[in-house]
Amino acid sequence: MIVAENLCKDYGNKHAVNNVNFCISKGEIVSLLGPNGAGKTTLMRLLTGYIEPTSGEVRIFDQDLKTQRLECLRRIGYVPESGFLYNEMSVCDFLHYTARLRGMTEEAYQGNLRLTVDNLELREVINQKIETLSKGFKRRTGLAAALIHNPDILILDEPTEGLDPNQKVSLRNFLRHYGRNKIIIISTHIMEEVEAMADRVILLNHGKLVKDTTPAELKELFPEHNIETAFYKITSEAK
Amino acid sequence: MIKTIMTILKKEMMSYFEGVSAWVILSVYILTSMFVTFFVGGFFSINNSGLFSFFYFQPYIMALLIPSITMRLWAEERKSGTLEFLLTQPISVLSVVIGKYLAAWLMSSIMLLLSIPLWIYLNIYFSADNLNIISGYTGCILITGSFCALGCLISSFCSSPAVSYLWGLIILFCLNVSDFSSIIEAMHLPQIIELRLHKMLSLSSHYYDLINGQVGLDNILYFILIIIICLWLNVMSIDYKKN
Ligand SMILES: Nc1ncnc2c1ncn2[C@@H]1O[C@H](COP(=O)(O)OP(=O)(O)OP(=O)(O)O)[C@@H](O)[C@H]1O
Ligand SMILES: [Mg+2]
Repeated sequence: MIVAENLCKDYGNKHAVNNVNFCISKGEIVSLLGPNGAGKTTLMRLLTGYIEPTSGEVRIFDQDLKTQRLECLRRIGYVPESGFLYNEMSVCDFLHYTARLRGMTEEAYQGNLRLTVDNLELREVINQKIETLSKGFKRRTGLAAALIHNPDILILDEPTEGLDPNQKVSLRNFLRHYGRNKIIIISTHIMEEVEAMADRVILLNHGKLVKDTTPAELKELFPEHNIETAFYKITSEAK
Repeated sequence: MIKTIMTILKKEMMSYFEGVSAWVILSVYILTSMFVTFFVGGFFSINNSGLFSFFYFQPYIMALLIPSITMRLWAEERKSGTLEFLLTQPISVLSVVIGKYLAAWLMSSIMLLLSIPLWIYLNIYFSADNLNIISGYTGCILITGSFCALGCLISSFCSSPAVSYLWGLIILFCLNVSDFSSIIEAMHLPQIIELRLHKMLSLSSHYYDLINGQVGLDNILYFILIIIICLWLNVMSIDYKKN
């Protein structure tokens, strides 16, 4: 379970995240939506402990992220928005480095490596240097690093950006399967993805949580019956 | 924590030796050190039993080279965005700071090791005061340790390695030549206290004590204190900057 309580993050006098509350339970795949600058990345950074909230708190499986940071982070896999890979390493070295940082035993690492590499179809590039990979493979490498310890919570910031349509579909299928007994939070700008994958939608605008609902309900909010219109109407209404 | 430190240390050492950077730094070090020892320090013309002509210029050579060892450590992580990856792993900032710092210190100690043949040479062909030389090496290791800690701290403030190198160079050079006179004089203290403060704060006076064979606890503590303060500030600056 992941709980955000009165979560706020200010940069100067700008409220990047403004009094956000939610509770996400096991088995939920949550899509984080919002226009550019709505605060999605900031919220994810708060949930992963990268930045500290100005006020409010995050609890991960009943542990306080601030006081029990390491215990909480052990259960999270996070893929940041962009460029967080060590370009000079090979895919295999990067995954091994991640596993060592996470304190995994060699045995556990080897077991998970095989699964992750197969699931994300990374076998052909496993010994290639990251800087020579195409964008899609870089994304998948990042995802593999987040999955290497089989986390209970997976937080992905625009994971399908740069993937070809086939990859998008296979990633969606994989996440659907993975998310059955885990928590997945995905931010995206692709509305079809929301419908195909998410059990729940959290819509942010100007740092505020403006809707917390299911994709089906979001569709039914307006007579046009599609998520894109609902998104547009809700976020421009707030202006 | 030890495991994390070792993981970070190993990764940083690998990245020094994977490219050409380590080899370039080591070659520049050995060339400048030997040139300065023999041609500027006058290896043959002074009483050199304590390897004085070598030790005397080390702080300046280190000020030139250590920023190139420490510049990437944090600035590169920030520039390429890997900092976010690193700091969302279940590891403490302190262990990352120590791991990176130890990598820099180890690298500069490898640099120092290259001068060991000079010591052997002195023992074979001249008379060597080995105790004094050991004290000199202690001074060298401590001063490189302090410079590495300062270099890491500077790198943590910068968002590009080049900027970090420049700042490192400037600050380390100033530290070498300054005895904090202007600050101390501005405080208008009695002369006896002023003198003591000069001696206490000045990096070079502690270092020159050591290369003259005066090991003294105060000299060792001075450098250890610099290291601890810099590492602590390094943790703070990483925490502060990401927020
Ligand atoms: N380090 C920072 N310093 C100052 N302002 C920041 C910082 N990080 C984010 N912001 C501001 O916070 C707001 C939210 O940014 P955030 O990156 O969370 O948006 P987002 O929803 O992820 O947008 P996008 O869809 O473009 O990725 C923006 O107005 C941004 O300018
Ligand atoms: Mg974003």
